[in-house]
This record gives sequence, structure tokens and C-alpha cells, in this order.
Amino acid sequence: MRKIGIWTAVACCVLAVAGESYAGRSNTGCGIGTIIFEGKEGLLSQICAATFNGSFGNQTFGITSGTLECERASALVAHEKLNKFVGDNMDNLAMDISQGKGEYLATLAVLLDVPVEERAELYKRLQANFSSIYPSEDVTHIDVLNNIESVLSAI
Amino acid sequence: MRSEVGSARTILKLRVLPLLFLVPAVTILAASSAAGSEESYRSALLEEAFRAELHRDPYWHTLLHYKKGTFGGRSLVDDPDFFLAENGKREPKAEMEATIRSLFMPAADGERHPVCRFPARFEWLKERLSIDESRLPVPACAPFEELMERIRPESVTLIFPTSYMNSPASMYGHTLLTVRTAYASDLLSYAINYSAITDETFGLFYIAKGLLGLYEGYFSILPYYAKLQEYRDVNDRDIWEYSLNLDGDEVRRLLLHMYELQDIYSDYFFFSENCSYNLLFLLDAARPGLRLTDECAWWVIPLDTIREIKKAGLIGEIVYRPSKSTRVKHLASSLPPDRRKDALEIARGALEPDRFAAQEFPADEKIRTVDLAAEYLQYQYSKKELPKEQYVGRFLGALEARSSLGEAEEPRDSIPPPGRPDEGHRSNRIAAGFGFVEDRPFQEIRLRPAYHALIDNASGYKRGSQIVFLDAAIRYRMLDRKLELESIDLIDIVSIAPRDAFFKPVSWKVKTDLFRRRLENGGEHLVYRLNPGFGRAYENRVLGLWYLMLETDLHVGGALERSWSVGAGGSTGLFKDATGWWNLHLFAKDLYHRLGDRDNLFSAGLEQNFRIGADTSVSLEVLVNSLHDEAVLESAARWNVFF
Repeated sequence: MRKIGIWTAVACCVLAVAGESYAGRSNTGCGIGTIIFEGKEGLLSQICAATFNGSFGNQTFGITSGTLECERASALVAHEKLNKFVGDNMDNLAMDISQGKGEYLATLAVLLDVPVEERAELYKRLQANFSSIYPSEDVTHIDVLNNIESVLSAI
Repeated sequence: MRSEVGSARTILKLRVLPLLFLVPAVTILAASSAAGSEESYRSALLEEAFRAELHRDPYWHTLLHYKKGTFGGRSLVDDPDFFLAENGKREPKAEMEATIRSLFMPAADGERHPVCRFPARFEWLKERLSIDESRLPVPACAPFEELMERIRPESVTLIFPTSYMNSPASMYGHTLLTVRTAYASDLLSYAINYSAITDETFGLFYIAKGLLGLYEGYFSILPYYAKLQEYRDVNDRDIWEYSLNLDGDEVRRLLLHMYELQDIYSDYFFFSENCSYNLLFLLDAARPGLRLTDECAWWVIPLDTIREIKKAGLIGEIVYRPSKSTRVKHLASSLPPDRRKDALEIARGALEPDRFAAQEFPADEKIRTVDLAAEYLQYQYSKKELPKEQYVGRFLGALEARSSLGEAEEPRDSIPPPGRPDEGHRSNRIAAGFGFVEDRPFQEIRLRPAYHALIDNASGYKRGSQIVFLDAAIRYRMLDRKLELESIDLIDIVSIAPRDAFFKPVSWKVKTDLFRRRLENGGEHLVYRLNPGFGRAYENRVLGLWYLMLETDLHVGGALERSWSVGAGGSTGLFKDATGWWNLHLFAKDLYHRLGDRDNLFSAGLEQNFRIGADTSVSLEVLVNSLHDEAVLESAARWNVFF
């Protein structure tokens, strides 16, 4: 990690957190680090993987971040920046969902592009369905995204 | 890069060469006129830059990190890739010439053009010299513009994770910047961090190398939530966020300079060219006219840089983010003892959260109890006090119970912020005092460059903590008419951390100093001392913070009979911040020296501190020192000024 460009890291963040204007590219599906750059500068993707999967996180989460499996990729899982955010903040997000409020939950709503006036309803619904979003101790972030999608589509 | 400038010249020569071989006239004319006009434009720009003496402009020096020092001026950047001219590190003028020349380099594949390598320099020169970019081979840095389009930066915030007592390297705190984007979530903003790159795990080497500048410091960027996990969740540090009032152009300039510094290193010095100092260059680059990097001396304390930034009028809204342990303490303090016990039982796995949730307590009490259990489980897991298998089950169990309880009355983050760090007393202290040793009067001057003593007003600091470096005292004994060095504290660190049902920290201290020890023959002499200790502390609502420590004590000095002595013993004390302006510390300490010079060293005393203003206080001290079975009473009053 010595002379690794901060802007490659920025590029990672950017792509992971890019605006809807960039959706065409960021919704490429499975494989966070590898697909984002689509063959352009292979080193970058490795750096992304190192920056985001290696350097933090595993010391703080208890709940597992799953690996991406293409065949299971639902719409939310395929949403790169959402996927990344949920994978990186499993425990704090779980706590916010259980309480029906909090910054991590609000960020989830932002990434889901839920209008401000509908967010209270979203929070309530997620809180009420906590046990179907986190059904077991082995739950991964991919499961969580799929479960959130089921909860929201069941409206 | 220098070779690229060379190759640009070669290309120009090659374009002129065909003249000699009389190739078709059209080609000749086109080539030579293009080259000629480019060359004349370049010369005109250089001439104008020199005429206006742009290389003397403070902003140019900011962009180069150029500082005047004892051995002449130089850039604080140590990476040769940051300079286009051979002597660019020392010559701002040479660097300017090379920069202007490099703008005319042809666009090349695979290699970043100087317009993109140094976009902040380019934009500034473009503005100052009214450069017509259509006459340059590369008119703008497209990748940077794309990046801006994607990030859509809106504002910049200065982040201050407060100190972290378990790690000496972090005791001063740390600073970083975040760039907020069009996204309405702070968690998704970008955290800009400057740090030394090291794999060093052996603490002593780490400190030594850090002092000598043997590490290379780089900027890095991560999502802010990653930094929050690191500082707030794992290190358990409270965080302060200071919004900066930079406008759109200023944020852009900050990022332009940041872009220039990618992959560029500067030698990292713990105390001077550290994380906080290097961030100041970004702010200086953001707002021309700011010279924050000039305000700092050879000793840069992160908190002091915040004060400088505040003085420069940059700070807007201020937000406090409590750490996990602060949240646990806050929740625990809001609950009756029985509910606190329930929360602990849930965290221990001894009480089913569902069963607890089904009981007939007020809803809000139940909510806070389960929240407390969940927060405490997270804390324990981050401190590795709980294995993952146990943690995940209990944590999810608690959250599931919580999800059935609905909405809390009080917002979770409504923890009242403590005193702001930037409003605490300043880091340096000078004290003038007088007192008596028995009936012999003395006058005293003390000087302390850093940082906070137990007895000082703790607002803005961590209560029960002390970090003192190089506190020196000079005494004038009025009867003897003698001026003497009384003591120098090299390091004097104390951490008194109370234990309770949730937290079981170890309190500890380490003091190493030169002090005046009374000798058997009645005289006195400076002796070196190393005095570490550890123990426990508890908090009593009425009495205050009390502690008990086991200590060892080493003295070395030629004046001692055997030149050294080693002892062991203990100390106990009671610390109380009685009001916002009055602190008391009552203590006793007994050390038995049995190796080397044998002796009993007993001391007991009462220190008091009265706050007069933010940076002024009066302290009173009475103590008894007993050596060689002779007790000596000493009293002193001091006027302290922090600056």
C-alpha cells in the first residue's frame, strides 16, 4: 500500500458512491472490485479490493459480509454503492434498523433513493421486519440486501 | 520528468530538422510556424512570469510547500517526483520556469501530462498569466474534471478524534478532513487523511523513527464511515467535527492541490511535520492569503492547529460524535440500577432479550436497557473481550427484541456534548510562584511546552488524564540567594480511569524526570528518576475519583552513595472536580528503596487549582516529603498562564 494512488482510492469511492448519473456503469452486477473498472487499469481494481476489503472492517464487524454470487444478484445486490455500504457497515446498520432510526439507516434510504417524505414509513417497515431481514447468525450482507428487497417488494 | 522536458526539446529540434533536407515547402512552413508560435508564446509567458515575480508569490510557495528555514529555504516535500526542475526543492523560480515550460509538452499516451500532474499550479498560472489554453497542447486536466463531476464536492469539514489513552502516539489526538458531496449523508463523504506509512510493530523503533523523520507520509482517501469505524468504534475515541466555511471555488482549489499530492511523500515527523501540519497546506491552497502553515512552530499539536484554523475565521458549525463507551455510559446513567443489571445480563447471555422485552416495565426503560445491552456488546466485541460466535448471536438477539419495542422517546445521539477541545486551556503553560520549604522562602518559574496536568481545568480534555512533557522548574532560594534548577519532567503521564460494572480499565502512570533529592548529609542534588505504576480507580459520586497504584522507583545520580537506588511501594489519591472552577487532588505515596541506597520515601499532599479564566489559573499546594526519617513541609502558590 505504499505508493498507491489516493485517486485510485477516490475512484473506488466515487464508483462505489457515484451519483445516479453514473448508474449505467455502476450497476454492472457482480464483483465489486473487478467489474467496476471493466478492464481499464487492472491495478486499480486490485487496489480497491485491498483498500476496501483489507484495511478496515474485519476488526469491527461481527456479522459477516458475504461474497458476491452472480446468480443470486437481485436488483439491490447489483447496486454497487449500496452493496458496498451495507457490506462495510453491517453491525451499525443492523442496530439502526432495530431502532427504526439513525444515520446508517438514513444513508441506506439515500442510497435506495427513497424520497424524504417516505422515509419514516421505510424505517418503520424495516424495523417491523427485522427478524426476516436478519433471520440467523449466519446472515451475510448479500442476504440482508435480498431480504430488504423482499420486505420492500411485499408492500 | 526532467527527461520528459528534454524529450520535448528533442521533438522541437526534430521538427526543425527537415528544413535542412529541403523537404516539401508546405510541411516546412506549417511545422516551423507552429513550433515557432508555440515557442514564442512560451517565451512570452516566461517573460511575463519573471517580470511579475510570480515565483515570489506566497501562493506559489504554498503550492510548493516552500518554507524558509535556518539553512535557507526549501520545500518540505521530499519526493523528487513533486519537482519538475532539478533544483526545484530549493529554487521556487527554477521550478516555476520548468512548470511553465512543461505546459507546452506534447500530449503523450500513458504518461500523465504536467497539466494533470500539477493542476493547482496550472490553474493558478493560467489565472495569473491569463494563459490562453487553446494554445497549449493539453488545454485542461480532463480526468480531474471528470472526478469533480462524479464527486460533486460541496463542503469541507475538519475532523478531530480526541485522544486515546492506550496509545502514546495518539495522545495528542489526530486531525483529518472530510469532503461532503451532493449526497445527503455524512457517512458517504470522503475522508482525507495524512499519515506515515509503516509496517513497524515494535513501539520503540516506531517512536524513534517517527522522531527522526524516517517514515514517508502520504495522503489517502477513504469513505468517512471507514474512518468512523477506526476512530470511534475500534479506538473508542469521541470525535468533533468542525465545518469549514470554504466556498465552491475554495473547495475546488483544495481538491486540485490534493490531486497534485497523490503518490507524493514528505518525510513524516511526529512532532512537527505530522498529520495535522500537512493538512494545513490543503487549507492554505484552498484559500489564497491564508498562511496557516506559517503559524506553527517546531512542535505541532493537532488541537493547536484547530485553534489556528478557528482564529483564521474558517470554522462554522461544530458537531460532537460520542464514542461507543461514551454512549454506553450515557445510557447506563439514565437507567435505574436494576435495569443496568438487566442490560449486563443480556450482554452476558444470561437473560433472554425476548423475555426481558415481555416484562412490565415502562416502554422507554425497556428500550434503553436493550439499546444499552446492544451497544455494550459492540463495545466488548471491538475490544476483543468477546469471541465472534457469542457476540453475533447475542447482538442479533438483542436487536430483534429491540425491533419489537418501537420508537425511543429520546433520540439516541442526544448526548450532551462535553466541553469543546478548542475551548479548553491552551497547550503551553508558564507559572510564576512563591512558597516555603519549612520556613525558607523561595520564588519559582515553571515552563511547560505540553500539554495537560491532572490538576488543570479539564474542560475540553479527558478527565483523569495527564500528559506532561518537559515541565521545567527553576527556583530562587531567597535566604541562600541561590538560583537552581529544581526539576525537569521529561515525561509525566497519568491515566486514572474508573472501573464500573461495564468497564474494567487499568489505571497507570509513568514519570521520568530529574529532581532534587535530599541527601543523607543534608545537602541536595539532582537525581534521575524513573517511576512507573499501575492500579485501579473507582468513581464515587460524592468523593470523586479515587485510585490505588503499585509503583516502582529507580533513582540514578552520582551524588547518591551507591549512585543508584531501587524501590517499590504504592500510592493512593482522591481527585475531585468540585465545581467548574475548582479541582482538588489529595494524595499519599510510600516507596521503600531496598536496593542501592536504602531509604523510605514518603510524601503526602493536597493540590488545588482555581480557574480564573480560560487560560489562567491559580494553584495552591501543600505537601510533606519524608526522607531519612525527617519530614519536610513544603507549600507553594502559583499563577498559571496557558498560551
